[in-house]
Amino acid sequence: MRSSLDLRFFELYRSQEYLGLLLDGALISLGLTVAAGIAGFMVAFALAALRFWKVPVLDYMAAAYIDFIRNTPLIVQLFFIAFGLPMLFGYVWPFWCHALFALTINFSGYFAEILRSGFASTQKGQLEAAAALNLSNSTIFKSIIVPQTLIKMFPSLSSQFIFLFLTTGVISEIGVEDLTHAGLYIDSRTFRSFEVFITLTALYVALALTLKAGLQYLFARTLGRRMA
Amino acid sequence: MPKNAEDAIVKMEKVNKWFDDFQAICDVDLTIFEGERIVICGPSGSGKSTLIRCLNGLEQHQSGTITVHGTELTGKDSAVRQVRENVGMVFQQFNLFPHLTVLENCTLAPISNGKLDENAAHEKAMEYLERVQIPEQADKLPGQLSGGQQQRVAIARALCMEPKLMLFDEPTSALDPEMIKEVLDTMVSLAEDGMSMICVTHELNFAKSVAHRIIFMDNGRIVEDQPPDDFFERPKSARAKLFLDQILSH
Repeated sequence: MRSSLDLRFFELYRSQEYLGLLLDGALISLGLTVAAGIAGFMVAFALAALRFWKVPVLDYMAAAYIDFIRNTPLIVQLFFIAFGLPMLFGYVWPFWCHALFALTINFSGYFAEILRSGFASTQKGQLEAAAALNLSNSTIFKSIIVPQTLIKMFPSLSSQFIFLFLTTGVISEIGVEDLTHAGLYIDSRTFRSFEVFITLTALYVALALTLKAGLQYLFARTLGRRMA
Repeated sequence: MPKNAEDAIVKMEKVNKWFDDFQAICDVDLTIFEGERIVICGPSGSGKSTLIRCLNGLEQHQSGTITVHGTELTGKDSAVRQVRENVGMVFQQFNLFPHLTVLENCTLAPISNGKLDENAAHEKAMEYLERVQIPEQADKLPGQLSGGQQQRVAIARALCMEPKLMLFDEPTSALDPEMIKEVLDTMVSLAEDGMSMICVTHELNFAKSVAHRIIFMDNGRIVEDQPPDDFFERPKSARAKLFLDQILSH
């Protein structure tokens, strides 16, 4: 049986056009992930704080939001934001804005749950010592609960972030020219599926490991110094 | 020892405390005067820890009155905070903040409570770290210290708030035998400076040499309240006798 593979990688990627598409795609994937990661983390922090402090009404709204986000597929959230809501409100945004908005909301739900559980798992002895020192609730939260949560939950936040990065390929479905979009396009032009998708795989692995290393570096230079 | 009522730093009257159906503190009356050093002992589950935790509002009693340094603990937040301003506490498990350096552990409360500015807080912290003889560890994290060192930091941390009364909740129970001495030495030197102290401890030699009064508790009640000589030589209750026999039999 003749294999249809002859693995002509170099031939395929000798094309400046394809290389450019992949590079741009990778940058868009990475950029949107980082932007949504930062924005999502800030939203998540607010949600988790509302839950931790049991702020009347908002506590339940935050809980509902988190449950809702974590129990619907990203692609449905994405289509709802890109196609559903614009029908209702009549706004026209570039594709990437829809993607950023949807990813931010999606990320925030997952991060919020990690932060909430981190806040809630602060050791009782820590809180008692803080109370005995007459620290105010806001100082206890800011100086004890939050830093300890970020230290304790860093591995969970980091791996969740990497996992979410890997799900961002679905934004290609609304026309964002991310890495997955570039791969699908090249595949449709060349039908060299094996080469295209193994290249895509390698690029995603490289980007994921880069993101992970970047987070690790940031952590080690900040909160990581506070681990004995 | 002055015994005027207005010198009382702690006054408990008919205090009761339940955890659901379990009564942890039963009808406790107790007056402690400024400068007194009290050791509370008794079998486990007798309410010793609960009693001292009621004194800084870590536990809320359900009936009776507790007055600490002139403020009645009514359950109101403002009263609790007023009391905590004057009461330091040291825990069995140290409970240092693991992400803060030794120095930061000591300066956090004075600075964020607005008591001292950063420089003054540092100075005071270093002064107390010298008192407990570990100034050289100031920039380390608690996890890098031995248990005995951690507990001494915890004492320094509490002292940085300049408390009028120190509560010790089994401060040596989580320590290796060799580290107990360094913590007890620190407590003795604190005692020599006239600090009012209430210690829950099983270190009976410490009790003998330092305490003005030994309080023996059983089932949430104060069964004995005597000077150490009388308590160890002539315990009045059968329960205290049995307790001492058990403890001293080895």
